[in-house]
Amino acid sequence: MSQTAQSLRAEAQALSGALPPLLADAERLASNVAMGAHGRRRAGSGESFWQYRHAMPGDNLASIDWRRSAQGDALFIREREWEASQTVGFWVDPSKAMDYQSAKFVPKSTRAKVLALACASLLSRAGERVSLLDTAAVRPGFGQAKLHQMAIALAGLSRSEDYGILPLPHGARGGHRLFFSDFMGAESDIFPALHAHAEAGNDGALIHILDPSEETFPYDGRIIFESMGGAIDFETRRAKALREAYQERLDERSVMLKDWAHRAGWHYLRHTTQENPQAALLWLFSALGVKR
Amino acid sequence: MIGFLSPFILLGLLALPLLWWMLRAVPPAPSRRRFPGVRLLLGLKDPESIPDHTPWWLLLLRLTALAAAIVAFAQPVLNPRAQVAGSGRLLVLLDGGWASAPDWRLRLSRVEGIIASANRPVALRLLTAPLPAEGDLGFTAAQDLAPIIQSLSPAPYAPDRDAFAAWLSENPQEPFETLWLSDGIGDAASLASALKAHGKVTLITGLSPAVSLLPARIEAEMLITPVHRVDTRAAQTIPLIAIGPAPDGIEQVLWRTEASFEVGESDANAPFDMPFELRNRIRRIALAEGGSAGGVVLADSGLIRRKVALYTASDSQEGPQLVDPLFYLKKALEPSSQVIRGTLDELLLAVPDVLVLADVATLSEEETKRVLAWVEEGGTLLRFAGPRLAAASRDLGITDPLLPVRLRAGGRQLGGAMTWDTPKRLRPFTDESPFAGLQAPEEVEISAQVLAQPGPDLVGKVMASLEDGTPLVTSARMGQGRIVLFHITANAEWSNLPLSGLFVDMLTRLSVSARNGAASADELVGQNWLLTRALDGFGNLVDASPSTAISGDTLTSGPRDAASPPGYYQSNEREVAINLIHEDALPYALKGLPLGIAHEGFAAQPETPLKPFFLLAAFMLLTVDIFASLFISGRLTGGAQAALVLLLLVPSPQAKAQDERALLAADNTVLAYVLTGDTRTDEISRAGLYGLSRTLFERTSIEPVDPISIDIERDDISLIPFLYWPISDQQAPLSPLAVSKINRYLRNGGMIMFDTKDAHLGAGSIHGAALQRLTAQLEIPPLAPIEPDHVLTRSFYLLEVFPGRWAKGQLWVEAPSSLTTIEGAPFRNLNDGVTPVVIGSNDFASAWAINPQGRPMYPVGSGARGERQRELAKRFGVNLIMYVMTGNYKSDQVHVPALLERLGQ
Repeated sequence: MSQTAQSLRAEAQALSGALPPLLADAERLASNVAMGAHGRRRAGSGESFWQYRHAMPGDNLASIDWRRSAQGDALFIREREWEASQTVGFWVDPSKAMDYQSAKFVPKSTRAKVLALACASLLSRAGERVSLLDTAAVRPGFGQAKLHQMAIALAGLSRSEDYGILPLPHGARGGHRLFFSDFMGAESDIFPALHAHAEAGNDGALIHILDPSEETFPYDGRIIFESMGGAIDFETRRAKALREAYQERLDERSVMLKDWAHRAGWHYLRHTTQENPQAALLWLFSALGVKR
Repeated sequence: MIGFLSPFILLGLLALPLLWWMLRAVPPAPSRRRFPGVRLLLGLKDPESIPDHTPWWLLLLRLTALAAAIVAFAQPVLNPRAQVAGSGRLLVLLDGGWASAPDWRLRLSRVEGIIASANRPVALRLLTAPLPAEGDLGFTAAQDLAPIIQSLSPAPYAPDRDAFAAWLSENPQEPFETLWLSDGIGDAASLASALKAHGKVTLITGLSPAVSLLPARIEAEMLITPVHRVDTRAAQTIPLIAIGPAPDGIEQVLWRTEASFEVGESDANAPFDMPFELRNRIRRIALAEGGSAGGVVLADSGLIRRKVALYTASDSQEGPQLVDPLFYLKKALEPSSQVIRGTLDELLLAVPDVLVLADVATLSEEETKRVLAWVEEGGTLLRFAGPRLAAASRDLGITDPLLPVRLRAGGRQLGGAMTWDTPKRLRPFTDESPFAGLQAPEEVEISAQVLAQPGPDLVGKVMASLEDGTPLVTSARMGQGRIVLFHITANAEWSNLPLSGLFVDMLTRLSVSARNGAASADELVGQNWLLTRALDGFGNLVDASPSTAISGDTLTSGPRDAASPPGYYQSNEREVAINLIHEDALPYALKGLPLGIAHEGFAAQPETPLKPFFLLAAFMLLTVDIFASLFISGRLTGGAQAALVLLLLVPSPQAKAQDERALLAADNTVLAYVLTGDTRTDEISRAGLYGLSRTLFERTSIEPVDPISIDIERDDISLIPFLYWPISDQQAPLSPLAVSKINRYLRNGGMIMFDTKDAHLGAGSIHGAALQRLTAQLEIPPLAPIEPDHVLTRSFYLLEVFPGRWAKGQLWVEAPSSLTTIEGAPFRNLNDGVTPVVIGSNDFASAWAINPQGRPMYPVGSGARGERQRELAKRFGVNLIMYVMTGNYKSDQVHVPALLERLGQ
């Protein structure tokens, strides 16, 4: 289900309006430098003073702080605190599986997009830079214009694959990565990419979005199940009998993701579309801010 | 009996086993479902072996549905009628007698069906109609007969089959086929063979032949009505009703009883164990259902027990009984009358029908006046002569006002030892005499009598005379009553007439005594009788058109026919009831039918096409199948289950809460409204009375509970003080039971307020007409527009107007009976004049109506003035209920000054 950019953004703004501005944890994101709102408690490019150090051979002459050096014999170099905003990269699963919805609940994709945009809105307000991986809005940025761009990109998000394939990291290293997906795809489409992101020094969170019917499996009788794109199908004579096996497999996938996240220092959230998105956003708030 | 119009379609049922096999082989179709989680399912195995064909019960369901559909399209028909196929001429013959009356409608609709489907020349004949004069039965196109069918009616006598058979033999006919709708009683031999000679005959008879009543008689102070039935196959209980005038002159059901038949019994007696006075009012006894002329017994004086007062001056019990002047009278009257004796004062107080004065010469002036007044009001004074009367006449040559003729002084002795004459016999009664037709036995001889003074008017007064012409019985009218004088004694002293049967007959003719049971032949012969009111075939009394007199012989001999139908006949101011069924000629089942006559049951139920029912059944089965299929394929979830449950939920009929209702009404003050059948009106009534109850609760010490609704046909109203009855044109007419219930309610102090809701009680308005229809049978006293000083104007509030939602309508209450002004209090004396009905037209309930939140539901007027009007309407309601509760108490209050003044003295 694709929504218009306007409505998506309005919904996301409404959702994020209830939270205080989120200051992303800047500590871990060392390398991806950009001038930002707050210092990184280490020397680097910035405007506020950080420390003086002895000049070393190879230092640029222009970087010597002559006023400090004049007080003694040694040459000092004035270092400023590294002030940079971090980059939070969002990835929302664009596959057809995300378009699934049961009964009165919203499609998973809608929930994912709203959560992503709400989070982006919060971060943007806090001066962080946000980007939408794997889309036209991949360049980090902030402000209403960026959000607007992201909203447009999200609204137009739709691919023909049945299941999402996580993008590989490229370019900038470090920063946060938020993956919104149902993680229903093949393991090979998920974990290698996750490893790559972790290795690239990214911090992040996995938001496992499911439809309630995907958890409860309320089916019985003779049913042919098809993937959303129709590429995969499976016939059962008595769906009810498969429920436990299915739920076991789902939990297995869930545990697998959680374990991976634990090992990588990432966060993992399992969220169903019948839950309140506010709760998920609060969780994201705490997940991004916990290490500050 | 079920028939099929297209039976060949039933062959389709043969295909069902094939279908069974096919349906078994095909598993239920899977559903396709998009589901992202399918990847997780891959590789899973169905753990159980699932049957891959339809379960047997589902198959059965589907096959049943299909079978029902096949049967439906074969057009099944319940009670199929014989198709009037064939060609050639068709005679539709109806017995048309009284026994056809109970199911006459069905017969006519059957005839209509026959005529509608007969596409050939048809003749329609009633066997009770006069025979056709010409030699032709009048065959005509079937559609020409259709309009006259509904105008046919049964005759109050039996069909004359033999006459028609004779006519057929005299007037040879071309062959024709006959459909004979018979009533199933009587001898059919001659007619059946005559018809059979002309062609095929189909006899169609009703379900069971009619039940007939025989003239009632009185046994052991109980009225017994013999009931005769022809069909004795089953035990049966037949309800009977006795009808007569209520004291107000309106005929109503006086008593109910029933006759019980065992299997095989054809006769039973229905006892009417009812009070004497009530019994005397019976005008006829009828079957409660299935009325026909044979199911009605007309009552005449034969059922009336008169109260006869016997009085004689020498009322001594000491003498030998046989010379008691009243002994023979008592013997003659006691079996059939209520005989009372006593002093003249006591007797007159008992208001007897007949007063017998045996040998009483003189009464005091006061007594004479009282007896005279009693006679003029309709009493019959019967006097017998005797030694005292003879002595008195000798002395005085009296002109007693209580004698029909003047008497000559002294009497005469005939055949005594000192006379030349021999005792005289009676001269045969003249035709004008009420005794006409009676045969005087040879041995009756008169040996002494008193003599009438000859005069110009004597001839008209003589009812019986002796051989030589001397008057023996004379009479004179006086006011509404009459005085009859027997010129002989009432005992055997002067003649042996009192010893003969003639004496009893004469008393009967004088309506002094009454015969028991039907009028006997002796009573009827020799006189000419004029039909006054006749029974029609359905057993209803209709005024007879002026007809020629019928001789009593005709009435006694032979069955009733067109010339002498059952009914009331009159002769010389005497009225007898001639009933249809005589115990010598009881109805019997149809007999004498020759072989070769097709016999067809006359289905009481009309032909009913069953196709819709079968189709509906098929449809419902298929609906069940939908749910069953959903269930099988596991798609029966949530909403669908709820829908199924809703479908299966059969609304359980609400238990009657009659007792609770009565308890509620008995324990509390409760206002009630009558259900009109119009939901909106009923809702307004309920809300209105609810509002009024609340108003009363708030303002007065009357604290009613929530109002209740009354189904006037079923609910008991005796405990309800006040009924609000809005008039709706949807109100069903009242049944006789409801009418009597309401009348009893009104008599015993209940009050009904009728509201036509149309603001004027004009004769032209629809609701006015509905009100008139509704109240036509109710005992409603004369009404008048309410007077400005009526109690209603001051029973709680002081009111001058009585508005409801409208303000202009007139309020009607019982007309004031008297107008008394009391000193110092210019009020009408309305003691006990509490009106049983109030008729208004202002739509009061709408003005009273409030919703549960206490807000008015309907606008009244406009603005503040409208609210004022609503307030006045409420006040009127309060006044009305106060009036219901306290009656004319406020009217009494106006006497208080006078009472106080008196106490002070």
